[in-house]
Amino acid sequence: MVLLNEIINTVLKNRGKEAVKDIDESFHLRNDIGFDSLDLAELTVRIEAEYNVDIFEDGIVNTVGEIIQKINNK
Amino acid sequence: MNILITGVSKGLGLITTETLLKQGHNVYGISRSKSNELEELINDYPENLSWLSYDLSDAENVRQKLFKEWIGLKTPLHAYINNAALAYDDIVTNLNLEPLEKMYRVNVFTPMMISKYAIRHMLLHHIKGSIVHLSSISVHTGYKGLAMYASTKGALEAFSKNTAREWGEIGIRSNCLVAGFMETEMSSTLSADQRNRIYKRTSLKKATSVDSVAETIAFLVSEKASSITAQNIHVDSGTI
Repeated sequence: MVLLNEIINTVLKNRGKEAVKDIDESFHLRNDIGFDSLDLAELTVRIEAEYNVDIFEDGIVNTVGEIIQKINNK
Repeated sequence: MNILITGVSKGLGLITTETLLKQGHNVYGISRSKSNELEELINDYPENLSWLSYDLSDAENVRQKLFKEWIGLKTPLHAYINNAALAYDDIVTNLNLEPLEKMYRVNVFTPMMISKYAIRHMLLHHIKGSIVHLSSISVHTGYKGLAMYASTKGALEAFSKNTAREWGEIGIRSNCLVAGFMETEMSSTLSADQRNRIYKRTSLKKATSVDSVAETIAFLVSEKASSITAQNIHVDSGTI
C-alpha cells in the first residue's frame, strides 16, 4: 500500500498535479485523486513494472481498493 | 537515443539503421532473417546494434519478446520506426482473404501493438519519444494492383494522426513518412515499363532516393523535429 501510494503520487507529480495524502482503499481514481485517462495510462505502466499486473487488461478499475485486489490476485 | 526499428535486413530499413548508427544512436533492429549486409553492419557496430529475429505476423508476443526479454523494461526507448511491411499486390477481383489478413497483421496490427508498448515504455521512463510509420505514395495517388497494400498504409496514416493527437500533451510525437517508389526489393516485381510510368508521374522524373528517405526518418525522430507531429511527410520525388 505504501508503494502504491508512492506510485500514485509519482504520477501526479509527473503530470504537474498536487500530491494526495492519506490515500485509502475507498479512494476513487478519477473523482478523489483527480486522474484523467492519460494519468491512468502512466499509473498502469508503473504498476505493471512493479507488480507485473496490467490493471486495465480485463475491464475498468475505479478505486484504489480494486487495484490492490488485482495485485493480490495475480 | 535508443531506437527500435523493424525490417532491418534489407532495403530502406537497412539503410536507415546504418544512418542512425552513423549518427551515434543505439539501434534495436528487428527482421525475420539476417542478410549478409546486416551481418556486416552488426560486426561494424557490435556495441550499438542489437538484432532480434521476430516474425511480425505474431502480434500476441510483442510485450514479452520485444519489450520484456529483449529491450528490457529498464532501457529507455526514444523512438519507434515502423518500417517492415508485406506487399500483397493484385487486382481487387483476385483478392484472397488469407494473404490479405497476413498483410494486415504484419503492416498494421503488430505495429499498433508495438506502438502501444513503445508509448507505455516512454511513459515509464518519462520520455518525450517519437514514432515514425512508413507510408506509401500509393495511399494518395492510387495505382493499379496496389489497392490492398495501400489500404494498410492508409490505416497507419490514420492511426499515426490520432496517436499524435492523443499523446501530444505528454510530448510524444507520431508522424508518417510517405515514401515514393524506391529501387528496392519491395518494388522489384514491377516491369521496366511500369516503373517508367510511375516515375513519369513525379516532378523529378525519377525514383525516390532511399538515402533521402532514411535521412528524413532520422530527422523526424531527432530533437530537430520537436515541433513536427501528426503529419504525413512526403519524400516522393514530387509525385503528382
